[in-house]
Amino acid sequence: MTTDLKLVPRLALRAQGIGARLGGIQVLHALDLQIEAGRWTCIVGPNGAGKSTLLKVLAGLIEHTGVVHLQGQPLAAWPARQRAQRLAWLGQSEGAGDDLTVWDVALLGRLPHQAWLSKPSEQDYAAVEQALRQTQAWDWRERSLGQLSGGERQRVLLARALSVQAPVLLMDEPLVNLDPPHQADWLQIVRTLVAQGTTVVSVLHEISMALHADTLVVMAQGRICHQGLCSDPQSHRALEHVFDGRLAVHAVQGQWVALPRN
Amino acid sequence: MKQWLRQRPLALAAGLVLLSLGLLALGACVGSSGLQSLREVWLDEVSRQIVWDIRLPRSAGAWAAGALLGLAGAVAQGLFRNPLADPYLLGSAAGASLGVCLALTLLGAAPVAAPWLLQLGTTGAAFGGATVAVLLTLALARGVQQTLRLLLAGVVVGVVLGAASSLVLLVQPQLMQAMQGFMLGSTAFVGWDACALMLGSWGLCMVSAWGLSPVLDGLSLGESTARSLGLPVAPMRIALVLVLALATGTAVAHTGLIAFVGLAAPHLVRATVRAGHARMVLLSSLMGGILLLGADLLARSLLAPQELPVGVLTAVLGGGYLLWLMHRQNPVAVGAKP
Amino acid sequence: MKALAFLLAVVALLGSVSAQAGVTVMDDRGAVVQLLPVPQRIVSLLPSLTESVCALGQCAKLVGVDRYSNYPTSVRTLSPVGGGLDPNIEAIVALKPDLVLVATSAPGSDRLRALGLRVVALEPKDYANALRVLGTLGQILGVDSAKAVVQTMEADMRAAVSLVPTAAAGKRVYFEVSPGPYAASTSSFLGQTLERLGLQNIVAGSLGPFPKVNPEFVVRAQPDVILIGDSNADALPSRPGWSTLKALQAHRVCVFNKEDADVLVRAGPRMAQGALLLARCLQGIYGAAPVSAATKASAP
Repeated sequence: MTTDLKLVPRLALRAQGIGARLGGIQVLHALDLQIEAGRWTCIVGPNGAGKSTLLKVLAGLIEHTGVVHLQGQPLAAWPARQRAQRLAWLGQSEGAGDDLTVWDVALLGRLPHQAWLSKPSEQDYAAVEQALRQTQAWDWRERSLGQLSGGERQRVLLARALSVQAPVLLMDEPLVNLDPPHQADWLQIVRTLVAQGTTVVSVLHEISMALHADTLVVMAQGRICHQGLCSDPQSHRALEHVFDGRLAVHAVQGQWVALPRN
Repeated sequence: MKQWLRQRPLALAAGLVLLSLGLLALGACVGSSGLQSLREVWLDEVSRQIVWDIRLPRSAGAWAAGALLGLAGAVAQGLFRNPLADPYLLGSAAGASLGVCLALTLLGAAPVAAPWLLQLGTTGAAFGGATVAVLLTLALARGVQQTLRLLLAGVVVGVVLGAASSLVLLVQPQLMQAMQGFMLGSTAFVGWDACALMLGSWGLCMVSAWGLSPVLDGLSLGESTARSLGLPVAPMRIALVLVLALATGTAVAHTGLIAFVGLAAPHLVRATVRAGHARMVLLSSLMGGILLLGADLLARSLLAPQELPVGVLTAVLGGGYLLWLMHRQNPVAVGAKP
Repeated sequence: MKALAFLLAVVALLGSVSAQAGVTVMDDRGAVVQLLPVPQRIVSLLPSLTESVCALGQCAKLVGVDRYSNYPTSVRTLSPVGGGLDPNIEAIVALKPDLVLVATSAPGSDRLRALGLRVVALEPKDYANALRVLGTLGQILGVDSAKAVVQTMEADMRAAVSLVPTAAAGKRVYFEVSPGPYAASTSSFLGQTLERLGLQNIVAGSLGPFPKVNPEFVVRAQPDVILIGDSNADALPSRPGWSTLKALQAHRVCVFNKEDADVLVRAGPRMAQGALLLARCLQGIYGAAPVSAATKASAP
């Protein structure tokens, strides 16, 4: 991750004319999206808006119409390994092998950096340790996944995504099962990463958390309704509108908070 | 000691290799003529033939078949991310049975008319049947993209080919006893050439599976995650399925349908040691070899000179040990890993 | 002088040709078998072949038999070497045989050949084959008695046929070999025996030698006589619909114990004995009426 701003492309991800089908149904309709580098973008919207699908398209994991550019080059043009070194993806609860240990899982995140079948390097061990310490999972790194609670498991999977040390990090519902202290930890991790120049894109259900981001992307029914700064009142209005006015955004102690409204 | 072993998969590997050699030596002593043949090995030509040409290739063949099945079991469980997966999941067992059924029918009907079939024998027919069944499964599932679809296709192919075998047996009921022999499995007819074939196949499959093991590791986190890590999942899964087919087909062709080895060997390894898929594949293979060789030795010696079907003994040995392991763990959390 | 030399040469040539013709024989799998040296230690893995060897007077040369060979009683003392379908390779090799007799479909024959043993595959599945096998076996064992044995068998067969009472001629029969029910059709060896005795089989040969028939079919066909092994006999009246069978009601049932069943099923030298068993049973049902001259003459 270079700090020379001239060399870092202004746009980490650029999506043009994205359409995607899931099970025969058109989920995304001709979307255009631009993700700025070194910023935290949050995608929010009601259920079924297509947020997870959009994230998967950005990660290059599902078929779609249109083009996605990663750091100026089309995704398809990137060799798989190099793409994986630059773009890390954390998905929603896929079945994980229960007898892998925490440490093994975190080490799997280093696969894009390892030559095929080679032993992990010192760099790999350092990255894994850093990631596990960041998610407060270092102390029980010898335990197997099957023995962990939901929240602990989520933190381990997050550590796996962090250990890739990629300049672009995509996370789909990363706060599932996390209690408030660990949600706060997560916030801290993201802020640190962004300060170091990493681009973070997250899909969140927790609107109050989402409002801590730099940029907000509001989606509904497969289209982007609004994209703007989180501090912008227009973004707040768009947010309230897309949820049918059932929530209201308030400023509380210097933070934006979304509260339900009846 | 157990804690110590848990961290050292290679120590387990060394132990399994030593145990294999020990059992192999035992295999030279066990048979219908007992130790007498061994004692007379230097004096009598026939005793030498018995020990060298019959007992040793049988024992080595039993180990090789078990190693192939253990390897296939580890690959199957990694590929489908399911601890209940076994090597016969993609219809290879049913395909091999049908192949043997048809070969026996043709051989019984007009043995002279098909000399190429005589050359091929039931061994070739079993291997061909297993391979065709797996290819059929792949075609039915239209590739390996979706695990569930692949599993379902395998079940369908297995059931349909099994029904076809039953149909053949209905028309030719005199084959039933011969088929039962095939279903229960036996190492009785394994010679040095069969042994060489199985060991060669094992070498090829082991190198391939070991080379493909990072994909299995990645897959344990889910398909999308594996792809996001830059792994070429689809072509490697096809390669793994082919390794599975080759290993299973070779083992089944020479020793029949021996149950439980492919299922139990990976579990036995996992219960003893913690390892990634690269080591798991090797250890599971060694464990499978020992399981089948041990069962074969018991089959030959328990009721000598009569031989018990080896498939029954693998189930008793493997299943018994698994039950004991489950019992020893915390009775409240049965199924949890230590 | 020249003519004599020529004649001697021709005779010598003919002699060598005939000697060559006698050196090998083809078995039922198409493999060429060397006739020399004459076998002295024989292992047999098929009961009918065991009986054939003994019928040719070479019983003393048998050193091992399969577990199903039980006739003559002397072979029961020989070492068992597994079954026809699961032979014990090691036990066979340990007996040091110079001839192993197997069925054509037997597994393990390739393995035994690979170990250097002389393996001959013969399978007498019906009448014509049974007689031919005896001839081949006689050649292999180097004895001349095959012809005589065959002639005796055929004479005994004719005698058995002549014992069938006239009342039983042309009667329709059903032979059940095992529960299922599996019946013997006209294309099986049993079926051929029944045919020779002038009986009609309700199960056609086109269904295969031992088809699994629908019990309803038997009820509809109403056979005149039912032939069955004794393990199944008691269950017959309790089968649904079978109580209406006239054969059951009139007790026209022939029940054969295990030893008799063995004789009936094996296409070996005891086939005439099997025919005799059937004839005696029919006599028991229809009475031992004397056979007319016309029937005697037309018997095959």
